Amino acid sequence: MGVPPLVFVTGKGGVGKTTVAAALAQRVSQRGRRVLVVEMAADGSLAALFGSEALSTEPRHLADRIDGLRVDTRALVESYFRRLLRLPFLAHRLFASGTFHAVTAAAPGVTEFVVLEHLAHWTARGWLGRKAPYDAVIVDGPASGHALRLLRTPRQLARLVPRGPLANTVGRLRALLDDRRHTRVLLVAIPDEMAIGETLEVRAALDGLDVGLARPVLNRVWPRRFSAAEAATIAALRRRRDEPLLAAAGLEITARREAERHLARLRAAFGIAPLPLHEICRGRLDAAALAQLGRRLERGFADDGI
Amino acid sequence: MASDAAALDALFRQRLVVCVGTGGVGKTTAAAALGVAAALRGRSVAVITVDPSRRLKDALGLEGLSSEPRRVALGDGAGALDALALDTKRTFDRLIARVAPRPDVAERIFANRLYQELSSELGGSAEYMAMEKLHELLQLGRYELIVVDTPPSADVRELLTAPLRMTELLASQAVDFLKAPAAIITGRESSLMRMTLAAVLKVLERWTGLTLLRELSDFAGGFEHLVDGFRTRAAAIDEALRAPATSFVIVTTPEPGIVAATLAFDRELGRAAFPITGVIANRVYDFPPLAPDAGKRAPAALHRKLRDNYADFAALAARDRAALDALQSQASAPLLAALPVFEDAPTSLAGLRRVAALLGASAPNRLTRRRRAP
Repeated sequence: MGVPPLVFVTGKGGVGKTTVAAALAQRVSQRGRRVLVVEMAADGSLAALFGSEALSTEPRHLADRIDGLRVDTRALVESYFRRLLRLPFLAHRLFASGTFHAVTAAAPGVTEFVVLEHLAHWTARGWLGRKAPYDAVIVDGPASGHALRLLRTPRQLARLVPRGPLANTVGRLRALLDDRRHTRVLLVAIPDEMAIGETLEVRAALDGLDVGLARPVLNRVWPRRFSAAEAATIAALRRRRDEPLLAAAGLEITARREAERHLARLRAAFGIAPLPLHEICRGRLDAAALAQLGRRLERGFADDGI
Repeated sequence: MASDAAALDALFRQRLVVCVGTGGVGKTTAAAALGVAAALRGRSVAVITVDPSRRLKDALGLEGLSSEPRRVALGDGAGALDALALDTKRTFDRLIARVAPRPDVAERIFANRLYQELSSELGGSAEYMAMEKLHELLQLGRYELIVVDTPPSADVRELLTAPLRMTELLASQAVDFLKAPAAIITGRESSLMRMTLAAVLKVLERWTGLTLLRELSDFAGGFEHLVDGFRTRAAAIDEALRAPATSFVIVTTPEPGIVAATLAFDRELGRAAFPITGVIANRVYDFPPLAPDAGKRAPAALHRKLRDNYADFAALAARDRAALDALQSQASAPLLAALPVFEDAPTSLAGLRRVAALLGASAPNRLTRRRRAP
């Protein structure tokens, strides 16, 4: 199978989620599908990657068949309750009382529920009885803790709210998230102890949910430049007299070794080899590189194993 | 690499140092290294770390998750360094036990299903707990300097106002409303407000099937008794954060996105009138241009590879230099130190000492003392 209708790209801050989301969106659009990229961070860099103005809360054209929008949770909460209340002046009165926002921000699951409902609305066929506006929604950047909360919310709410219209919606959301043909989580990490630790934690936590995973990505991996024999020569030279040229090689060798160790850890935890992306030192990620990345990411969904 | 000795000197004379910054910049390591540096200068220090990696915990001797101060062995000549790791859930329990007027009030909250599900996920609770732990240590008065690491937070105001917001929520009508919705509706509010609330209530009831509402009202009812306790603490914490002996340090890396976030932090802290002392840049590549005879001892084939590799690192170094220049020209406070990328990550105590040395672990007078000794 290809890229499913709903993909959450998640991982620790600064691991390259936005780049991965953009590359994936581009690939999906090249397949002739309409894509919506949803940015969860208020100050994200997604639009800049497409050479576009900052995103707003309504879909904005980014490229051929690619739209983007930014999630404003407060506005979503308001619009959700406005729909519920039907009478505009009641809604207006409600939002004007600071109490309402205090309660919804602190009350468990309200924000997450509303965000999920919003995401589902863009992609789900037959949601609210109409055709899905997009063939694929790629969610960029809820950091892993937030993503987990998001994915857990339907279950938590289902426990707290056994019946009623809310329970029905929760049930539908849960079915969407649990359907691996519809929803996948793409974890992005870098070869850094904390980032890998967080990725493994999310992996373990997802075991308790039925959410499907895509092949994980390990970003910023140094290529293997020096053979073992060369590494030994470099180490010997450094022992005699170190110099910046050799120190740089030392950094590369250590970084590559670390990356290999982390690749192995991810492979063991996911039961599938992660997709390594190379560190970019000179210049920026150009269109060709982005396209290649998209192709490789797409193949990561082919597998149904995880 | 660059470091601002005078500014660091002033920093180590403070009573409270708060490390802020976005996630993944090495904030926890920087906080730990600042603690080590201050202790090596002879001060008695506590470091509050949030969510440290396993290796960093090992380095600090924090087995498991210890929210009680543990002594870090730094050897002779040093002051004292205590480290602790924050455990959001347990701190919250303890806080409730402490501010609850009677044990049965605390018990009632602990027993609440919502509390159990959500005490670690309640809005802003991680932020709140970091500030709460700080308050606890300040009350203790045992340390000359407290260094606080903070949970990664996209919005610094969210972090620092967490205690106030929590209090606001608990003291707000929301609690009354949830506790007994009917009481408000029949109360002295305007008729329009009564109508609104009645409608909201009806929708909520239909929406939730009532169970959620009852649980929520139970939860809120339990918290009602705690409002005064929360309020006093929130005020004390806010005061401590604005004291003259308090310094905020923003931790960053030279990556463009992170630098932008750091500058946003800087502006927000400034707007909220919190005292910013400076910025620590972490994981900075620093490679000067090569000498013409560099690597001449290496075999020719290897030499070419070495030069290729070096060119990559030099490019990264140039990128980092540009980013730090931009940072320095726009930030309100100086760059305290630029820490290099280490070949082995500083996750051992020896590693932390190395970082501490770059942060000015030895004050000028201490250095001379050491020189005099054989």
